[in-house]
Amino acid sequence: MSSAALETKDTVASLGEKYKYGFVTDIEMERAPKGLSEETVRYISAKKGEPDWMLEWRLGAFRRWLAMKEPKWARVHYPPIDYQDAYYYAAPKNTPKKQSLDEVDPKLLETYNKLGIPLSEQMALAGVAVDAVFDSVSVATTFKEKLNEAGVIFCPISEAIRDYPELVKKYLGTVVPVTDNFFATLNSAVFSDGTFVYVPKGVRCPMELSTYFRINASETGQFERTLIVADEGSYVSYLEGCTAPKRDENQLHAAVVELVALDDAEIKYSTVQNWYPGDENGLGGIYNFVTKRGDCRGDRSKISWTQVETGSAITWKYPSCILRGDDSIGEFYSIAIANNFQQADTGTKMIHLGRNTRSRIISKGISAGKAQNTYRGLVSVYGKAENARNFTQCDSLLIGAECGAHTVPYIESRNPSARIEHEATTSKIAEDQLFYCLQRGLGQEEAVALIVNGFCKEVLQQLPMEFAVEAQKLVGISLEGSVG
Amino acid sequence: MSVALALPTRRVEEWKYSDLAHALGEAGFGDETARVTIGAPPAGIEIFALDEPNRPDWIAAHYGKLRGNPVSAISLAKARGGIALRVPKGRKIADALSLEFSGNGHARALLVLEEGAELTLLERVGPETRNSGLEIVIGPHARLDHVRISPAADAVQVEEISVKLARDATYHGHFANFGARLSRTELEIAVEGEGAEVELSGVSVLSGERHADVTTHVAHDAGHTRSTQLFKKVLGGRTRAVYQGRVTVAHGANGSDSRQSAKALLLGDRAEADLQPELEIFADDVKCAHGAAVGDLDADSLFYLRARGIPEQEARHLLIHAFLEDAVDGIADMTLRETVRGAVAAALVAVTA
Repeated sequence: MSSAALETKDTVASLGEKYKYGFVTDIEMERAPKGLSEETVRYISAKKGEPDWMLEWRLGAFRRWLAMKEPKWARVHYPPIDYQDAYYYAAPKNTPKKQSLDEVDPKLLETYNKLGIPLSEQMALAGVAVDAVFDSVSVATTFKEKLNEAGVIFCPISEAIRDYPELVKKYLGTVVPVTDNFFATLNSAVFSDGTFVYVPKGVRCPMELSTYFRINASETGQFERTLIVADEGSYVSYLEGCTAPKRDENQLHAAVVELVALDDAEIKYSTVQNWYPGDENGLGGIYNFVTKRGDCRGDRSKISWTQVETGSAITWKYPSCILRGDDSIGEFYSIAIANNFQQADTGTKMIHLGRNTRSRIISKGISAGKAQNTYRGLVSVYGKAENARNFTQCDSLLIGAECGAHTVPYIESRNPSARIEHEATTSKIAEDQLFYCLQRGLGQEEAVALIVNGFCKEVLQQLPMEFAVEAQKLVGISLEGSVG
Repeated sequence: MSVALALPTRRVEEWKYSDLAHALGEAGFGDETARVTIGAPPAGIEIFALDEPNRPDWIAAHYGKLRGNPVSAISLAKARGGIALRVPKGRKIADALSLEFSGNGHARALLVLEEGAELTLLERVGPETRNSGLEIVIGPHARLDHVRISPAADAVQVEEISVKLARDATYHGHFANFGARLSRTELEIAVEGEGAEVELSGVSVLSGERHADVTTHVAHDAGHTRSTQLFKKVLGGRTRAVYQGRVTVAHGANGSDSRQSAKALLLGDRAEADLQPELEIFADDVKCAHGAAVGDLDADSLFYLRARGIPEQEARHLLIHAFLEDAVDGIADMTLRETVRGAVAAALVAVTA
């Protein structure tokens, strides 16, 4: 290896601190009995005080799940998961839901403060409403009143099932059907909490909405479910963040996110996924098997996914858009960073069904250490999608000789007036770029950060301001100890 | 040798756009052996019929040895006979050799170019239902220019061409394809020697309800190797063109350079193009790029030509020809290039009519 490359390695190693969210909150927990059975499903449903229809929905999913096989097509390798060897429900004692933050267990507040997520009044300054999900329950939701004034419903999904059953019934499972895939079906059976958002007709949501997911308890899985409905002419921007403690065991996270955009509505969904990625020897880390899908159900609707994926030992995630309405727009902006022994298989699907539908995919994959990073995507234009347009750009950056970068795009067109363009490149950090920066007096550290951030810029730009700065730092930190 | 003889259905990922089991039905490819014939062989080529006893060592060393798909394994198991050809060390053959697969059933052929040998191969195929396998071994510093023309057919045709390249070897392959009820051309290219170079190109011009699937796998197993792929497709009527191209760069194959491009023009209302350019990279010092595009003719180009007084119909023809020519003009042999151009022009009449 050349000296420049060695220096790169040292620089990147010194760039960041260790995974700083790896602490554990010591709090008394209430758990479901270990294992997965109809009893577990009934236990969760009872804990949530759900109506009968919800329990039946869950049981139906569970029975279907028993007959399903775990998918093996992704480029991720892991030992078989024992689904009986985990807790499917874990909640801090002293819930239920508090009326005000003053009543929330101070330990929890402290946890979120340590994570840099202020649930208290300082949020007013940030202007972001937060739903905080701790293991299996939502512990705090801020700014509910202000949102209520605008008519926006922003609450834990368990609450929505009780308080707005008609809305939930109308939309839940309509984008990701109960039997969609192995992990989505598992989620449908055992999902514990998550967020429900409903933005009424013509309302522009007055603030950013966000949910912070935290896995704390050991030997648990987290199965959250998010449902966002933007009614005609409305707009909402939603962000989610995820962290977990450092542990030697692998923990399962199987979430489902459904977005519905009706006529002229727009949903912007941003994720900064920073689950514990495992240590530099590949020990521990979260298995992240997530189904995210948006349905541009109405004409002129728009759904935009932005994701920064830096965490998890394994990522299996394809946020997709079904462009059903005429003139609807789907977007996918992604940065996926895999270091050490991380494996990421992520991408998107753009399904063009309506006329004049447009989609744009920008994917930046960075592999370092012994990691494997795969972009997997589908652009499919159906026969009636007159004048459909797609542009896809997926670039991979390799740092070190032991990692892998893979690109697996599927392009299917059945309409002659459709136009699809796809471009992809794979390369390493160019020595001439490094040299150029160094020669102009930048330190090695700055140079690498600059090049990697430049490589990701098109995606970082899409993040809401509050997240963009954080994400830029995360990009540097995630590459810690890379180049082999 | 134990071989799984089941034919792939579209539930098999690699065959999802070409349901071979469905196209062939119960009968499969049958048990017949198809013919492999060669035209008047230029001097200096050794020829051996594979159904004769006492195969020489060079056949034993190379026949049935290359990485193949399950369908190729069936032809290997079932074909009786076939042909093996060898161009000895240092022999540079000026005249093109023509080789033809014809008749129903399974067929196999082997072509070995020893160190420093050079050959131009014109491959033709008959319109019958057939499963053929062609293995090509290219020695150090040797060079093969290969042009395959498969005329429009209503049969089911599968051909696997597997190529192995040694150090500094060169392989240029062009595949002009006019479709069949189901047509699958699979190129399995193992770039095993440093400095080796591969150039693949092809055109598919489809009319009626024809199908043409070009599936490639270029494996850069050694460093400082180069590969390019350029495939162009023009689809009329209710046709379907498939391109599945995978490039893998093995761990340690530094200095690999790979480029891949697949483009389709959809002219028919019910035509479908499925493109899947795939990269699998396990080394960091590489340059790999791929591009794919599907669409109609560029409106700006069309306008440009019409603004200069060229009638729309003619302008469209010009643009379609230009689109395809890109992939044809790389054919080194002038006569073969003209042959391909002629076949393309004839096929385009049916598409644009």
